Amino acid sequence: MKNIILIFTLMVFASVSTVAQTPKGDVLFKGGDVITITNGTLESTDVLVRDGKIARIGKNLKAPRGVEEIDISGKFLMPGIIDAHSHIAGSAINEGTSQVTSEVSMEDVVDPLDVSIYRALAGGVTSIHLMHGSANVIGGQNETMKLRYGTTNPDDLRFEGAPRTIKFALGENPTRGGRSRGIQPQSRMGVENMLRTSFQQALEYKKKWDAYKADKSPRKVAPEYDLRMQTLVDIMAGEVLVHCHSYRADEIYMLMKVFSDFNIPKLTFQHANEAYKVAPELAAFGASASVFADWWAYKLEVYYSTAYNAAILTENGVLTSINSDSGELIRHLFHEAAKTQKYGDLSDDEALALVTLNPAKQLGIDNRVGSIEEGKDADIAIFEGHPLSIYAIPVMTFVDGVKYFDKANDGDDQRLYVSPTSTIEEINIFDRETQHRCMEDAFVMDFNQLFSNQN
Amino acid sequence: MKLFRKLSLQLVLLLSFSVITMQSQAQSDPSGDSPVTTTFALKNATVVTQPGNEIAGATIVIKNGLIQSVGKNVQIPADAEEIDASEMYIYAAFIDGMSNAGAKRPENPERPRDLFTPDPPNEYAGITPEKSVIDQLEISSNDFDGMRKAGFGLSHVVPYGRMLPGSGALVLMGSGEHIDEIVLEKDKALFAQWVGAPGAYPGNILGIMAKWRNLYRNAENRKEHVEMYAQNPSGLQRPEKDRVSEAFFPVISQQKPVMFNVDGMLDVRRAMRLQNDLGFPLIVAGVEEAWDLVEDFKNSGTPVFLSLDLPDEPKEIKEDDKTAEVEALEKRRMEFYKKHVEQYGMLANAGINFGFSTAGTRTNNILGNVRKLIENGLSEDQALAALTTNPANILGLSNRLGTLDNGKVANLIVSTDPIFNKDANIKMMFVDGKKFEYEVKAKSTNKDAQPAAEGGDILVGSWTYNLNTPGDPQSGKMVIKMENGSYSGYLTSSDGSPDNTMNNINFRNGELTFDFSIDAGGQSVLIVVEGLITGKTYEAEARVDAFNVSLELTATKDEK
Repeated sequence: MKNIILIFTLMVFASVSTVAQTPKGDVLFKGGDVITITNGTLESTDVLVRDGKIARIGKNLKAPRGVEEIDISGKFLMPGIIDAHSHIAGSAINEGTSQVTSEVSMEDVVDPLDVSIYRALAGGVTSIHLMHGSANVIGGQNETMKLRYGTTNPDDLRFEGAPRTIKFALGENPTRGGRSRGIQPQSRMGVENMLRTSFQQALEYKKKWDAYKADKSPRKVAPEYDLRMQTLVDIMAGEVLVHCHSYRADEIYMLMKVFSDFNIPKLTFQHANEAYKVAPELAAFGASASVFADWWAYKLEVYYSTAYNAAILTENGVLTSINSDSGELIRHLFHEAAKTQKYGDLSDDEALALVTLNPAKQLGIDNRVGSIEEGKDADIAIFEGHPLSIYAIPVMTFVDGVKYFDKANDGDDQRLYVSPTSTIEEINIFDRETQHRCMEDAFVMDFNQLFSNQN
Repeated sequence: MKLFRKLSLQLVLLLSFSVITMQSQAQSDPSGDSPVTTTFALKNATVVTQPGNEIAGATIVIKNGLIQSVGKNVQIPADAEEIDASEMYIYAAFIDGMSNAGAKRPENPERPRDLFTPDPPNEYAGITPEKSVIDQLEISSNDFDGMRKAGFGLSHVVPYGRMLPGSGALVLMGSGEHIDEIVLEKDKALFAQWVGAPGAYPGNILGIMAKWRNLYRNAENRKEHVEMYAQNPSGLQRPEKDRVSEAFFPVISQQKPVMFNVDGMLDVRRAMRLQNDLGFPLIVAGVEEAWDLVEDFKNSGTPVFLSLDLPDEPKEIKEDDKTAEVEALEKRRMEFYKKHVEQYGMLANAGINFGFSTAGTRTNNILGNVRKLIENGLSEDQALAALTTNPANILGLSNRLGTLDNGKVANLIVSTDPIFNKDANIKMMFVDGKKFEYEVKAKSTNKDAQPAAEGGDILVGSWTYNLNTPGDPQSGKMVIKMENGSYSGYLTSSDGSPDNTMNNINFRNGELTFDFSIDAGGQSVLIVVEGLITGKTYEAEARVDAFNVSLELTATKDEK
């Protein structure tokens, strides 16, 4: 008994003990058009932020003593954008050597020095979902973060209190990974089998530990501890939200069947380019989707796509968000949201919810962020021009009422650490080679091939 | 390939020869090298017994490997070899927190046929905490001499390997016939690093963190089981013998620390994060970026060894039409170079009693690097403490080493000048009471007296290189030019592949580093080459970080 208590105490301890005190701000925004998402747009309205929270929304608010007042008349104030699928700010993305790695966690590899964080802030983004890659069927646990750029302590970027989430992946990526390593799964059938086998093993694991816990003998011996299995047990207990990389309708439907069989209630499909084909089924299951606005055809399974995907899903009552999966797209997610007005006629609030409230719900943080409401965190983006306009310019970004981006003070070099041995050359903001990290480290190349001339 | 086989054969011959000579020495000493006496009296020296405590005109008597007495009125034993040390400065020999001194890098474990990548054998995964560095040590290694010449009398030597290569040992930088003679203490700390297995689990830091947690928690459970069984085995399931788990037992009971080899700031934080989760005693070593960690070190009390491997001072581009952007970037780079070299003084002033680790530092750069730190804010006393008393404290050696006091191990530096002076030369080292003498160069007046390799343009010209890749070794020409004060060059390939441009060519103190990229199926793969030029040969390591592999690269200068 002592052991298991210790283990769980340690686990609880690990998840709360490192919560650092992060800065909280006080500020009064005067006279902007406030896009609340949940309560329409309030014209020429003030928003008062106290200790990092939205304290009041109204007209003619007075700044309490010592609270800075920012005139945003003629500008738009909206909730900070939330990216439900990102790979920025991670020192590693895939532990692709095994096809089930539920024991690994992105919270271990958060890189607060990544300048992409600043670039995201410059696009009005305040929170990201740093995901494990898609090289394996059951990938690692993800990390929900607030973009408090400037700290060197990874723990300061944690979205404290956010639920645990984990990455799954179906289709070409994990099967390619399997084939290149000569391990399961090498086909879509193998993927489903792997999922079912893993959950079945986790049930066996839970049985062993339950028996151990129930055993009253003082001389009992603990079964083998396995963080991998324990995480799967936690998923089945509903403590870890699953976000699954998927494209095709058949595999989306397959995973819903698997989750029904194992009574796992919560599920978000990432990418889900063919989700529109199974929109009613998704709605009936209560699954949600996080999609691209109009990005496809980069591999075979992603050809059957439409820019109406987000709108069709929304109209069918599927909780939908639009994500970036990219250090470049993340800078203009508001444009991506706007595309749903061209392709699907979504309303302003519906369109903006795709990058604010809806991803917040998918990450289980909608009680804290995603809309402008009294009591919520002051994670706020200020725009010149309506954020759904092609002329929109993000001018300021606040997290917990603290300003992390201001276009008026936007220095050229925002790196936090600079290598003294680096060479100075032209700076590329857009780097095609490092942009897609979804499959980083996922492939094994034959080492002989590498040095031969036959590639 | 053939080249290496030949080379290693020669090495084997050389080694066996030297063993033979030593054995015969022990029997009859035909060479006359054995000391007449092992008692020494160093007379009339300036003795720095510990940082901040200097005695002028003092004598030190060394006997039986120990310091018998230190002071002004010291009785000199009749059997002592008396050494006039007036004008000399004597210090406790330095103590190094982490090196591979004397250890031979083992062959990388061969990738097993049909490797099941999710669960490779422990040997391949690099999980061998039950091993000891002693098995990698070679008494004939030149490293000991190199470390001595840099003033070190003791090093905490750690094994080569991957995530958990084994335990380190405290090794005297002395000499002997068998390695056991110079090992002061075995199994000092469990050595750990963020090095994954190539293409197998755990492949990177994600998997390593999780694997650590699994290993540690199971070791905790097993320890309890083993103890219960030892008390009363009756009716209790037999605990399986598990060497990996057992290696953690002294760590779990807080009797043995884990030493994490961590250079960057984030790597340090990750080691501390693991420590925080699991509760083992932790030492961090090899630390290169600590300026943002002062509070964390203070709050956690984690002992620290800072790396002595300093970055080269960045050189500004000498162009008239330099853009403002380039100037600003150069300024920031310089700002971070300053952070690197000034952090040592900053940490010492903040009360962090760090030691130094030399792993990755060329031994003949060590003293120069310490002097550079002193120029950048570290006081001489702080520097000496970081080289003597602090590491002695961290490694639990204060009752034996670190100061010049009666009864301590006779590890001494005898220097021609105060040791941190530019002109200081080490004239003698005593390690474990054994004397090692060095020829002292006349005080250099000419600043250009650099190693021969650098002054001329040995680098410039055509070289023939061999890259020892798996399967067929690659070879070709390495052609280097000097233009406008900077090097440029390219590598040709004898198999007809296109030439590769050499980038970031850096040549200093005989050390040549550069990198180049090759195209592998549309994917650009960076290869970083680092090594030494001695005479007309270049011996280097070519690292392919993307695959976690390193290869041997050798080159010889072509005759004209």
